[in-house]
Amino acid sequence: MEIRLGSILLAAALLAGCGWFHRGDKTPSPVVAETPQADPSVIDPQVTRREVKTPKIKAKDFEIGAYVGALSIEDFGTNPIYGVRLAYHVSEDIFLEAFAARSKAGLSSLEDVFPDITVLSSSGRQFTYYDLDLGYNVLPGEIFLGRGRAFNNALYVTVGMGDVKFADLDQFALNFGVGDRVLITDWLAMHVDVRDHVFESDLFGVSKNVHNLEATLGLTAFF
Amino acid sequence: MRRLPALLLLLQAFCVGLVHAEEHLLELVVTEPYLEMHSGPGRGYPVVYVVGRDEIVTVLYSRTDWYRVRAEHGQEGWARRSEISKTRLESGAPAPIPPYPEFAAHRWELGAGYGVYNRENLVTAYVDYGFTASLDIEAALQQAFGTLDNRYIATIGIRHTFVPEWKWFSPTASIGAGWQYIEDRVPPAPLQDSNSMAYASLGARGFITRRFMWRFDWRAYVVFNRLNVNEELEEWKFGLAVFF
Repeated sequence: MEIRLGSILLAAALLAGCGWFHRGDKTPSPVVAETPQADPSVIDPQVTRREVKTPKIKAKDFEIGAYVGALSIEDFGTNPIYGVRLAYHVSEDIFLEAFAARSKAGLSSLEDVFPDITVLSSSGRQFTYYDLDLGYNVLPGEIFLGRGRAFNNALYVTVGMGDVKFADLDQFALNFGVGDRVLITDWLAMHVDVRDHVFESDLFGVSKNVHNLEATLGLTAFF
Repeated sequence: MRRLPALLLLLQAFCVGLVHAEEHLLELVVTEPYLEMHSGPGRGYPVVYVVGRDEIVTVLYSRTDWYRVRAEHGQEGWARRSEISKTRLESGAPAPIPPYPEFAAHRWELGAGYGVYNRENLVTAYVDYGFTASLDIEAALQQAFGTLDNRYIATIGIRHTFVPEWKWFSPTASIGAGWQYIEDRVPPAPLQDSNSMAYASLGARGFITRRFMWRFDWRAYVVFNRLNVNEELEEWKFGLAVFF
């Protein structure tokens, strides 16, 4: 009880002290002749205007993801391929996309028949590419799984160009693709793609256009 | 054990933060007779819900020209930009849908394209920043694929757009400096595997749609080398870009 009384007294003393110190701060109000105001109002509003901030709408036009699949390298068999992709959706129809992927070639039919012949070194069998593509959503719509499930999807075509590094050489390559984007949720999409990478090669002595078809399955997220 | 309540408090604070972030979304009042909500962000997706006049929709995010909205009873769907822009804030002010970036005065540009450099196929990617409507700085990364060598080229330059207000076709001119790295494909190796360069160029640009545009550029390069005569190269390229 004593302690409580003591603390109350102390608080009172402190408050009084504060009052005492602040006493001197007040400047004496100068005596001025009262001038009649031009617009006498009964209430002088002292309301500070509340700053209303309209929230910004977040744009989710980018798509990032990865894919796996099979790449058929002309003359070198079909092999697994792993890649990453980044897309920017310009409008509901047009998108720009960049890909990078890597695969490793198997044995050519020549090497299969004549095991002593080696056409490519181990590093030369690495098949690496990057591509810059322009895509167009041709058939947007819904696909139905059973009676009660519908998924948004879009069939799209892509055309682009880039670099294919194969046989330790960088080649200019064109690519043409068809794919389907199925939206599992509004931000997660599954892609099924078939793409052809065409470039000129003279690996077997004669210069020709080689076609390297890939079929991939990918997963992307919109952000 | 004392840390547990603190941790719980921290978690709670975090949750409150999340809820608060969720709360801070744009709410709009439908003023037209109705607002259609599609199942996806495109004209091919069917209408799944219709919001009536004077009802409130919450805007979650956008994708291209479509807005993900939530109706009062929790139904979600995609509304067209042109329809969303007819709604209003609760205060009566028009919906704050940002306008498309103005092409003549845009700041940033990101593009890629195809070209021919010294009679070789060229892949180019570039970024461009506009100081004013007619003066830009441009940086490009390029790869040229030749029969004898591959070249990696990096350039930086300033560009002048003569009549930026001409939307569909506006001529440009630029000057800049660059650097190339030569990777030989066929021996013998080049005397120098890297050179610095300077270029002057003439080009044109034009608007396609929304934030999409094209560019054409013809460049004359001077390649500085150790020989008595500098090498002169030509390049042309065509690219597509998005602007912000």
